[in-house]
Amino acid sequence: MAGFVQQVVEGLGAGAIYASLALALVLIYQFTGIVNFAQGELAMFSTYIAWQCVAAGMPFWLALVVTLAVSFAGGMLIERVIIRPVEGAPELTIVIVTVGLFIFVNAAAGWIWTFLIKDFPNPFPGGALEAAGISVSFSTLGVLGVVALVMGLLYVLFQYTRIGLGMRAVATNPASARLVGIRVGRTLALGWGLAATVGAVSGVLVAPLLFLEPNMMGGVLIYAFAAATLGGFDSPLGAVTGGLIVGVAETLAGAYVGFIGSDLKVGVPLVIILGVLLLRPQGLFGRAAVERA
Amino acid sequence: MSTDLVVSDLVAGYGDAQVLHGVSFTVREGEVCAILGPNGAGKTTLLRALSGMVKARGTITLGGAALTGRPPDAVARLGVAHVPEGRGTFMPLTVEENLRLGAYVRRGPSVEEDLERVHQYFPVLKKRLKQAAGSLSGGEQQMLALGRALMLRPRLLLLDEPSLGLAPLVTRELFRIVRTINEEERTTVVVVEQNAHLALGIAQQAHVLETGRIVLSGTAAQIQADEQVAQSYLGYRV
Repeated sequence: MAGFVQQVVEGLGAGAIYASLALALVLIYQFTGIVNFAQGELAMFSTYIAWQCVAAGMPFWLALVVTLAVSFAGGMLIERVIIRPVEGAPELTIVIVTVGLFIFVNAAAGWIWTFLIKDFPNPFPGGALEAAGISVSFSTLGVLGVVALVMGLLYVLFQYTRIGLGMRAVATNPASARLVGIRVGRTLALGWGLAATVGAVSGVLVAPLLFLEPNMMGGVLIYAFAAATLGGFDSPLGAVTGGLIVGVAETLAGAYVGFIGSDLKVGVPLVIILGVLLLRPQGLFGRAAVERA
Repeated sequence: MSTDLVVSDLVAGYGDAQVLHGVSFTVREGEVCAILGPNGAGKTTLLRALSGMVKARGTITLGGAALTGRPPDAVARLGVAHVPEGRGTFMPLTVEENLRLGAYVRRGPSVEEDLERVHQYFPVLKKRLKQAAGSLSGGEQQMLALGRALMLRPRLLLLDEPSLGLAPLVTRELFRIVRTINEEERTTVVVVEQNAHLALGIAQQAHVLETGRIVLSGTAAQIQADEQVAQSYLGYRV
């Protein structure tokens, strides 16, 4: 039993990371209806910025603040320069643009920092919390704590601030949002900046567990897609719940289903995506598109 | 300072399709102006041009300030509230959030006063503040749209077919409230309406729009008495 709980806890730790990237995906999807395939690569790039700051001698937490600020500005800039020109274009066009951004950012990171793996400092202390035969590493606790904090901050932003209300208005009815005086373009850029910031958090969390290299977010992105699909692409709460479920499912399948093991684990999110799309396309928390006229 | 709305030689359309071919009229401060006309005459396009939703040439001024060429959010900040076709409800948001969005460009304690004022005009909304706006009935959503527009403290209120899809009783109630608002707040109103009777009932001036041109203008009483209008839009002969 303790072994099972142990696996669940580890699954939650991994799931929290998927949740944070899924949160970034959902933020952009809500505002623009765009599924940003480059989200993972942007997170990876942000992580390199953090690494560079630390390598230059900055203390970790200061480096994190700088990284988040740069990511926010970078996200807004990408919306302005790359996404704005294709706003309103057919979905496929926008998908191709974000895939292009994926390749570009990946190559740029390789060009600047090479494809050699780098060690990334773990901001959380080593060791673990032991109780009832279960050990939870401080690193896992830290990851869960950070994701909970990000979720909480976003909740406060959206529910209790004027800007957050404006952002939700733009997400639900941009034409009407314009009519009440909201600057929609600025709000969309803000959404991209916010998503890039949240994505940067996931990159910085994942880097110490894997190694830092340009392709490190590839796998995480697939899990994040599964998480967002499961939770519902239009629900931030769903994204987080979906991330945790995917993390736990992946870990348990790896540990208890013999033929899956650690090699086939990557297949789990794909099975989840397929299952959700067949059974409940809007996801657990998503809104099906029916409304009273 | 007068806040007359002056529109002259307004030309607007979508892409290559020109819908308005030089529309000119003036609405005096505090008056209600009705725009009548058949489907496809360009009534909705006219309102959209006024609020900046479609690009327009010509000039539009409100109290001397030019509205032409400004995007809708800038026009809104100048005090123009547009209740669009389809009501523009923010469906998943609560009724209260919808109302607060109406005052998005304003801050301070006056927003709370205005919420109170909207509750007085529309007691039904007060009972549903925490409910998702998408769950309201059509009539309630139209009241919400009007309430949201009032939250801007508009100098100019643009109403697009407020009667559309509503029961006659609800429509009459709505027009009664529009008249009250106009009288109490001195808000200038431009109302586009298929139901000519109701619109003329609250308007001082009226214009008949046909295929993008004003074909007839006059006081509401004159238009009401016009034989041709009577045949075309009122459904009876004078």
